This record gives sequence, structure tokens and C-alpha cells, in this order.
Amino acid sequence: MAGKKRKLSIKAKLLGTIIPVSAVVLFLLILVSYLVSKGMMKDSAMNLLDASIGNQVAEMEGWLNKDLVSFEMVKKNIEGTKPNDKELQKLLNQYYNYNSDYPEGIYVASEDGTLIKPEDSKKSDKGLLDSIWYTQGLSRVNMAFGSAYTNEEGENIISASGIIDDGEDKVRVISADVSLDHVSLIVNSMVEMEDAEAFLIDTVDGTILAGRDSERLSTKLSTEDSNPLFAGIAKSVEENDYSMKEISGYLTAFQEIGGTEWLLVSDVPTATIYANLNSLRMIMIVIGCVAILCIILLIERMVHMIVRPIKVLTEDITKMAEGDFTVEVKAKGRDEIAAMGRSVQKFVESMRNMIQDIYQISDKLGNQADGSSKISREMYDASIVQSESMKEMNSTVDQLSISVNEIAESATTLAMVVSDTKEDSVRVEEKMQETVQVSQKGKEDMQKVGTAMETISLSITRLEEAVNKVGTASEEITAIVSLIGNIADETNLLSLNASIEAARAGEVGRGFAVVAGEIGKLASNSTESVSNIERLIHEVQALVEDAVEQSRDSSENIKESGQLIGQAVVTFNQIFENIEETSSLIQDMIEKVEKVDAVATNAAAISEEQAASTDMILQTSEDMVTQSNHIMHNSEEVANDAEALAATSEELGRQVKAFRF
Amino acid sequence: MKKTSVFILIAAMLFCMLTGCSVGGMQGGNAGSIKVLMILSNEDTYREMVAQEAGKIAQEQGMQFDLVIGDGTSDAQVKTIKEGVSKGYDVIICNPADAATALQLEIAAGDIPMVFFNSCPEERLLKKGKYVYVGSNEQDAGKFQAEYVLDKLGSKQELNVMILQGEQEHSATNGRTTAVKNALKDSGKKINYIFSDYADWSREKAKNMFDIMLKTGREVDCVICNNDEMALGTIESCKENKIDLASLVILGVDATKDGCEAIENGELSFTVCQSAPGQGRACVEAARALASGEDMSKVEYATDNGLYVYVPFEPVTAQNVTQYK
Repeated sequence: MAGKKRKLSIKAKLLGTIIPVSAVVLFLLILVSYLVSKGMMKDSAMNLLDASIGNQVAEMEGWLNKDLVSFEMVKKNIEGTKPNDKELQKLLNQYYNYNSDYPEGIYVASEDGTLIKPEDSKKSDKGLLDSIWYTQGLSRVNMAFGSAYTNEEGENIISASGIIDDGEDKVRVISADVSLDHVSLIVNSMVEMEDAEAFLIDTVDGTILAGRDSERLSTKLSTEDSNPLFAGIAKSVEENDYSMKEISGYLTAFQEIGGTEWLLVSDVPTATIYANLNSLRMIMIVIGCVAILCIILLIERMVHMIVRPIKVLTEDITKMAEGDFTVEVKAKGRDEIAAMGRSVQKFVESMRNMIQDIYQISDKLGNQADGSSKISREMYDASIVQSESMKEMNSTVDQLSISVNEIAESATTLAMVVSDTKEDSVRVEEKMQETVQVSQKGKEDMQKVGTAMETISLSITRLEEAVNKVGTASEEITAIVSLIGNIADETNLLSLNASIEAARAGEVGRGFAVVAGEIGKLASNSTESVSNIERLIHEVQALVEDAVEQSRDSSENIKESGQLIGQAVVTFNQIFENIEETSSLIQDMIEKVEKVDAVATNAAAISEEQAASTDMILQTSEDMVTQSNHIMHNSEEVANDAEALAATSEELGRQVKAFRF
Repeated sequence: MKKTSVFILIAAMLFCMLTGCSVGGMQGGNAGSIKVLMILSNEDTYREMVAQEAGKIAQEQGMQFDLVIGDGTSDAQVKTIKEGVSKGYDVIICNPADAATALQLEIAAGDIPMVFFNSCPEERLLKKGKYVYVGSNEQDAGKFQAEYVLDKLGSKQELNVMILQGEQEHSATNGRTTAVKNALKDSGKKINYIFSDYADWSREKAKNMFDIMLKTGREVDCVICNNDEMALGTIESCKENKIDLASLVILGVDATKDGCEAIENGELSFTVCQSAPGQGRACVEAARALASGEDMSKVEYATDNGLYVYVPFEPVTAQNVTQYK
């Protein structure tokens, strides 16, 4: 089971696809809306800052203009009515404490250094002609605010001043002091944005006129400022670049104040702008997570609902796959899955019928296959038997063939032997002729031998007589020798006596003793020789006796031989006659042998032909064996096939039985 | 593959439908059928020159062109515009009596696009493809003036400058003045603004102010005026007060007929030509582009953001004044 592919349900597949895709889409949506929100936040912050600074500027301009309009009215009045100094004094007195913005009222300075002011005014005329308000007032007809300065009371003030255009030659400047406090109030308090800050710069010399940081008041902007924000602002002011921009973490806006040389700068830390972004991010993440969860739940439920009928259907189909066609597919509704269910039900029914048919057919087929298997098995057995018989026949034929061949060979051999015999008998006849001749010659020689035998018999008789004479002579010799022996004995006795006598004679006798000794020895030797001669003679005598005896025997033998030879001659004659008879017989035999030869040759030829025919029979029989083997194999295959068919049909039957219907 | 591309195409089409993006200029028509209404706030030499050129160009291009000269009030302009809408004009060219009323004018015009000229509304009131401003970059005029001053009086380390400005709320006043001041400041010289006031484009007021300035007894090296009229007023004052014009550098803007004559006479030192024909042509070109839905970038001198058409200023001195008469 481990090797089997893991089953992946449609539900898992759908969820596995839809959920990540929705999650990614949702994530992208959130990311996009986050980025858009971020941009919008920045835009809205810029707009807010712009609006804030715009409002401040408008407020300031409105406030300044309101007073300026008042001053202009007074100025126009003076220019129109051309009052004398007294009347002017009276006029100016009216404006003392008239308005809280300019409590000191309005005053007029003349180029000769005189100052006409409300009677209660504390405005000093010290250094009048060099004062900022006077010199700046000299540069315009329309009253306008000039640079900020500190008055004698230590108040930071600005003055609106201008030349009185009354056509007189004497130049007079009308002016009014306004406290910077209200400007500071606008700058410091009317910032409409959280964490935003504003300060007012006089662009003529870069002095900071108002702002929350009291230490920076009245100081000048410098691009070398240690605070990068102020350095950046100074740089922008220097370059007259009044567009909104981000300077070292602060979004900074610039706006000039109409009718003055002032510049209002407002800045807000970008961190503040984006502070809400973090919470926005959190909210979006939470919303995203919740949305993804909801989507997962929703999709899970929906997929579950959609997939449920498929599951049921899948179970039914799985059962069908296992061969169970007893299932009843229930299809509810009108959707595709219901349509599928109905179709499957139809399919099941048609399958059921089909399988039933197949089952019946397979049953029949099984029977038929069994029958065919049996028959083919029988056929096979028969073919084996046939094959065996064939083999046996073949071996029989083989043996026959061998026998015939042997006969042929024998006949041939016989023919040859007969032929040889014919030749031999011719030679026998020749030899017989020779034998006849030889035996004739032998008969003659035998007669000659008979003659010679008689001669020999005569010679031997004479030899016997000679030997007898030798015997007689030897007896005489024996008598002589005995005599000699006797003499030698006596000599010996004499020598012994002589030696005794010599011994008695002593020294004189010694020579004689030696001769006596010698004579003694001679005597002994002679005795000995006599004995030897005696023994020899005895032996000669024996020999002679033998010779006599033998010659006697020989003579007898020769006599017998003569008789035998005589008989041999007779026999020889008989042999000769027999041989002659044989010779004629042989001639007869040769004639007969020649006849046999012809017959044998004929028989050999016939038996060879017979052998050849037998070979052919053998060949044919072998072919038949081969064929019968083939038949046997084929019929075996047929039997196997029939068996396989039977098995298949059985398997089919089994398979069909596996279906339930 | 095919499926994907079809899907992308459908998505793109849907996107186009939803966002309303259009391919090419489908609205309007050819130049011949465009009806143009031009409204001047009041009689003015320069603006009439612009209008004259605009009418000429429009007729050349076969457009229907009508000119209305008002009485200088915004109310009258609103009324004129409403009549124009009812008469079926395709585009309105208008110099607002007060640039601050531009929004009111736009509302009166409804769906009809507008070309503003001469007085520039705030940038937020302009809209690409709907409301554009034709004029010259006022900053350039101020820059040319400052360059001339620094060239003429370069030897002096301290300059006494008198500035006569136009109307306080006028966009050209601020643009020109600020540019001059900034350029002078950047020169590093000590600049004393001995007199600086609004003479409201008026020759009379300028003459009076110069008279008054003379009374203060301050020395002056140059008089920088926002237009030629004020420069001519200054010249008149000088003549009356017997001041040697050769020793005073007087500068104007606009290169009007009188201004050019003054240059020829050696009285006016320098002016800047704000090409009236150029602006007239630009007004018509911009009007045609708006009416036919063309992209503004095809109009000559249009800025990248498609809100402005800045016809360049041209410096005019005694050397080249004859070209501008």
C-alpha cells in the first residue's frame, strides 16, 4: 500500500488551489490598498500641511490687511483734507487706543525730524530719521509693513508706513506700530496639524520673526545650522525654492505672505504622518487574516457541498470498479453531478445486462473449451502412440536394412572368396602337377635310399669286427702294465732300504740317501702312472664294448630302416597314385568353382540392389518418423492450446462470476 | 496559450471600460468644425493684439472664431461664458478679469474646456486636457531685467533700485518682481530698494510715484518696472524734472509700441517682449488641442505637466528694437 499513489481528493485539490490563490490575491489587494493608503496619507498630509500653512498665511494676511486698510483710510483722509499740524494732531489723537492691534495709534514723521503723534502715545522720536519704519516708509506710497524691530519698551513690533502723497514738497511718512505678538500667536497656535510647527522668516535677511522655539527668535537662518532641518530650510530660502519638500525627516511647506517680505515655514515630522500607517497596517493584517479565514471556511463549506455527491458517486464507482454492479446510484438535483449520477446509473444497468450475457456465453464457451481440450488430449495421445509405432517400424526397417546390407556384403565377400578360390585352385592344380612330379622323383630317390641302406649295413658289420680287434689289443696292454706296476713296487722297497742304509753310513751315505730318495720318488710316480694307465685302458675297453654294442644296434636299425624304406617306397607309390587322383579331382573342382563364381557374383549384385532399396525404405521411414514427431508436437500444442483455452474460459467464467449483478 | 491571451485581452478591455481610458481622440472632430469663443476682460492694447492674432490663426485653420470684450468684471465674464455655452462653442479662450475667479468661470463653462491667458489662475484650478494657461513665464521677464541691470551696472557694488510693480494680486506682478529680486540677490551685490510700490500697471501712478521718490532725495541707479506703461510714466517724470535719462537705467516689460519708440529714442533702456502674436497663436493651438482631445504635449511650448503653454519672452534693447515695432 505504501507504494500506491496517495489519493488526493478533489476537495483537497480545490482547497489547495483556491485558498492559496485567494490568499495571494487578498494579500496583494491588501498590499496595494496599503500602498495606496500610504500614498494617500502622504498626499493628505501634504494637503493638510498646505491647508494649515495656507490658513495661517490667510489669517496673517487678513489680519495685516485689516489694519493696513484702516491705516490707508487715515492716510487717504490726510492726503485729501491736507490738515495743518494742529488739525493733524487732533485727527491722530482719535486713533490712540482705538484698536488693540495698534494701541499707540498712528503717527506722522516729517523729513525735518518732527513727529506728530497722539498726545498720550509713548512713541519716541529718538533717531527718527534713521528708524526702520521711517526709512522703509520712504520707499513707498502705499503703506506696507516693514521689518520687525524692538521698540524702547522692548516689544517686538512691526510698523506699517508710507509716504503721504499730498502733493506737498515736504516729505512726510505716516506710520503705525503693530505688536508681533499677534503674528506669533498665529504662527504658533494656528497650526492645524498634529505635531506640525511653524515659524516666520523675514526673507530680506533671514531673521526668524516668530516661532515656538524662543531661543531661535531674532536669530538668522544659516545653511550651516547644526540642525539639518534649519540648514535645509535656509538652503531652500536661499534658492527661492518654496515647493513642499521633505527635509531630514520633516515634511516642510513654505508660503510667502502677501504684501510683506515674510515667509511662513511649516514642518511636520514624517513619522507623525506615517504613525497612523502602523495601525492601518495592523488593521489590514487583521482584516486580511480574518478575510482569509472566512474565505477558507466559505470555500471549504462550498467545496464540501459540491463534492459530497461526487464522493457518493465515487464510492459507487469504486464498488463498480471492484465488480459490484448491484449498486444503485441515487442522483438528486439538476446539476452536472446529478446528470453524471443518472448516466452512471444507466451505465450500471446496461453493464449488468451485458455481464449477464457474457456470463452465459462464457459458460458455454467453458463447456466447449473443455470438450475441445479433451478431444485434443486424446488426439495427442494417439499421435504419441502413432509416433512410437513409427519409431519402432523405423528401427525394424533399420535392422532390415542392416541385415540386407550384411547379406550384400557377405554375398560380395563370397563372390570374392569364390573368385580367389578359383585362382587358388588353378594354382593348386599347378602345385599338384609339381607335387606329382616331385612325388615321382621322391619314389625314385626312395629306391636309391634303399640301395644305399644296404651298403651302410655292410660297412657297419665290418666296423664291428674292427672294434672287436681293438678290445683284444687292450687286454694285452693291461697285462704289460701290471708287470710294470710290480717292478715299480719293488723299486720303491729297494729305495727304502737304500735310504736306511745310507742313514747308517752317516755323512758318507748322505749322497747316497739323496739318490735313494729320488729313486723312491720315481718308483712312486711310476706306480701312480701305472694305475692311471690301467684306469685308462679300462675306460677304452668300456668304450669299445659300447661301440660294439652300438654298431650292433645300428646295424639292426639300418636293417629295420631298409625294411621301412621299402615300405615307404610302396607308400610313396600309393601317394603318387592318390595325388594323381587328387589332381583330377581338383580339376573337376575348379570347373565347379568357376560355376559358383558366376552365381556368387550375380548374387552380390542382386543383394547390393536390395540393400540400396532398403536404404530408401529406411529414409522414407525416417521421414515418416519426423513427420509423425511433428504431428505429435502439433497435436501437443493443440492440446496445450485447448487446455489454455479451457483455462482461459475457466478464468473468464471466474472473472464473470466476480461481478455481482 | 490562446486562452490566456484572450483572457488578458478581455481583462484589458474591461479595465479600459471601467477606468474610462480612451484610445486616441474620439471626441471633437476636425479643426474645421471647432467653434472658439474668446473673451477679453476689458480693452487693453496688448490683449487686443493677442486676440487679433488668435482670430487670424483660427480663421486660417478654418475654425469659427468670435471675440467678446467685457467691462472688466468677473460677473460680466460669467454671463458671457454662459451665453457661449448655450450657443454651442467647443472651447473658450479667456483672460480672467480676476484670476481668483477662475473656478467660477470654469463652473460657468461646464463641460467646455477653457484656455486662460494673460492672468494666470492658481495651479490647482488648472486641469490637464481641460483648463490650461497660455502666457509667458513671468519669472523669465524678471530674470532678463535683472541680467540687463547687472550687465549695465556691473561695476557698482551697491545698487539703488526702484521697483514699480503692477497690481498687487496679479500673477505677473509677483512673478516678475520676485524673479528680479532673486536674481539681484544672487549677484551678491548690496541691493538697496530705495522705492518699491504697486503702480498698478499705470503710467500716471508710476509718474506720480517717481515724483514722490524724487522728493525723498534718494539716489537711484535703475527703475525696474513690471511693464512698459509704468516705465513710460517714469520717463515722463524724469523729463519734467529734467533728469538726464542717459544716466538712469529704466526697464519695462511687454515691448509695446510706445515702449519700443522710447527705446529707439534712448529713453527706455530695456524691455522684454511678451510676444502677443505668439500668445495669440498659442491660445488657438491650445484651444484646438483641448477641443479635439489631443495631447497637450503636441502643442508648442507646452510644459510637461500639460497645464501651461509658456511662449518665451524675448529681450528687447536698442540693438534689436526694430524687429518689434
